[in-house]
Amino acid sequence: MNLNISAMEFVQEAQNGNISVEDYIASTMERISNVDEKLGAFLSVNNDAIDVARGIDKKIKSGQKTGACYGLPMSIKDNICIKGGKTTCASRMLEQFVAPYDATVISKLKAQDAIFVGKTNMDEFAMGLTTEFSAFGPSRNPWNTDYVPGGSSGGSAVSVSALECSASLGSDTGGSVRNPASFCSVVGLKPTYGLISRYGLISYANSIEQIGPITRTVKDAAFLLNIISGHDPNDNTTTNNHGTDYLENIDSGIEGKRIGIIKEMTADGVDDAVLSVVNDAISKLEDLGATCEEISLDMVKYSVAAYYVITATEAGSNLARYDNIRYGYDFPTEGFEFNSYIKKARMRFGPEVMRRIILGGFVPSAGHSGRYFLKALRVKNKLTEEINETFKTYDLLLAPTVPVLPFKIGEKIDDPVALFMIDINTTTANLTGKPAISVPFALSNGLPVGIQLFADSMNEPLLLQAACALEKTTRLPEIPL
Amino acid sequence: MVTEKEIETVAKMMKIETDNHKEYVDKVHAMIDYFDILDSAGIESDELNMAEIPISSLREDKHVPFDGNLLKCVNHYRKHYIKAPKLS
Repeated sequence: MNLNISAMEFVQEAQNGNISVEDYIASTMERISNVDEKLGAFLSVNNDAIDVARGIDKKIKSGQKTGACYGLPMSIKDNICIKGGKTTCASRMLEQFVAPYDATVISKLKAQDAIFVGKTNMDEFAMGLTTEFSAFGPSRNPWNTDYVPGGSSGGSAVSVSALECSASLGSDTGGSVRNPASFCSVVGLKPTYGLISRYGLISYANSIEQIGPITRTVKDAAFLLNIISGHDPNDNTTTNNHGTDYLENIDSGIEGKRIGIIKEMTADGVDDAVLSVVNDAISKLEDLGATCEEISLDMVKYSVAAYYVITATEAGSNLARYDNIRYGYDFPTEGFEFNSYIKKARMRFGPEVMRRIILGGFVPSAGHSGRYFLKALRVKNKLTEEINETFKTYDLLLAPTVPVLPFKIGEKIDDPVALFMIDINTTTANLTGKPAISVPFALSNGLPVGIQLFADSMNEPLLLQAACALEKTTRLPEIPL
Repeated sequence: MVTEKEIETVAKMMKIETDNHKEYVDKVHAMIDYFDILDSAGIESDELNMAEIPISSLREDKHVPFDGNLLKCVNHYRKHYIKAPKLS
């Protein structure tokens, strides 16, 4: 069974009865069991997936109405709740937590007959960008298993790249969908803030995080966006997109569009190899009829600091609920005083989460909030003003998704500030709420490089059009696994 | 300059044990030092505009019954009570 087909190709073939969903899911599960010991993409697999597939085959054969996914095998980041299954956030703290309800995105995908083959590895509570901070061990980059796959949705990107599923959902707080998509040579979309419901996504930094699809092609991302986007009464921050069809004009191209190349994201600190790929992408876009010009977003220099201050503050609040009394792991309360129990129980958090909780207490505290938190909010405001002004002149913005090539596992884990700088090109979309997408574009020394495109809020149709046009200009080799 | 003592005090408030984890303190210190870059952003006089959501846009605050027994999911649920350590 050829698993190296896009989600849309799978849907077409299953709909026409050319492939059996049961056989395809069985092959997918076999692939997971063959390669995942090496890759560490999954934290749990769904042992009922083949039974579900059999039911969908029956529906297709009997001519019953079947959902748009036709049994599409998908993986889901382990911070998105699926009823009755473990949702661990890759943390020992939630090792035994079973979700009592479905996230809205899960309900929508279930209604369209998607099949969830498993839950994927991630940095603990989505705090990290290499998947090395998972309490259950790192995921590995399928292009070279000595290297990180990016993060925090590393398991999701690995699973799509290594043909362990056809598509995945991750969450993106500061680049956590786009960064691993770039490092693993798949497509990763961070939609406009509010386009996709966060109900059932375990919160890290509510004001900027979004769920986003990770797929093999841009059209697959548009296909999934059609299903999971839109207003949700359970999430007050969601927006009504009036049933926009993101596939409708996706092949329209980008002739006549103006693209701004963000100076601060293509300057100091960007690898020469990455820069060379960016220049190649610019040439290709110009060949397609776009005009590319350098632009400046001055606040980008401060975006990483602002991002970490804001996310740590929200994380400090969001993670206060993990006291192991309402939910958590099996640790008896007898013999403890209340505060000492909670302190003891919270030692199950990993080191990065502990660091960020401490930061989250420090930066908004009395005497320090003016210096850190309020300044971070002002940078966020100013950056939003700058990007809004830029979108008055330019249709799209472009930068490398990550300024460096994938690096070796363990190479940067002890240097938090070096890790901060890897987020420099991705946090802007989160702080401003704008949509951004990473498109796999090239390999350098056998390691993937992704190109990032930004559009104005709710302009995903144009963003996906441009990404689709860029994707067509390159043909990447098959994964060497 | 942030002191080690200040970081330890905050960690205690956040109910994070740092007694045997000096490396946390060092790394948190490095992170906070990096945040000093915000001092050079020149945005002190900028107004802070926060997006406001009118109450009418919020969902109705009504009880929605859950189709399961949520209390049974609680870790220390014993005979209609949740066991918790005593407050000193």
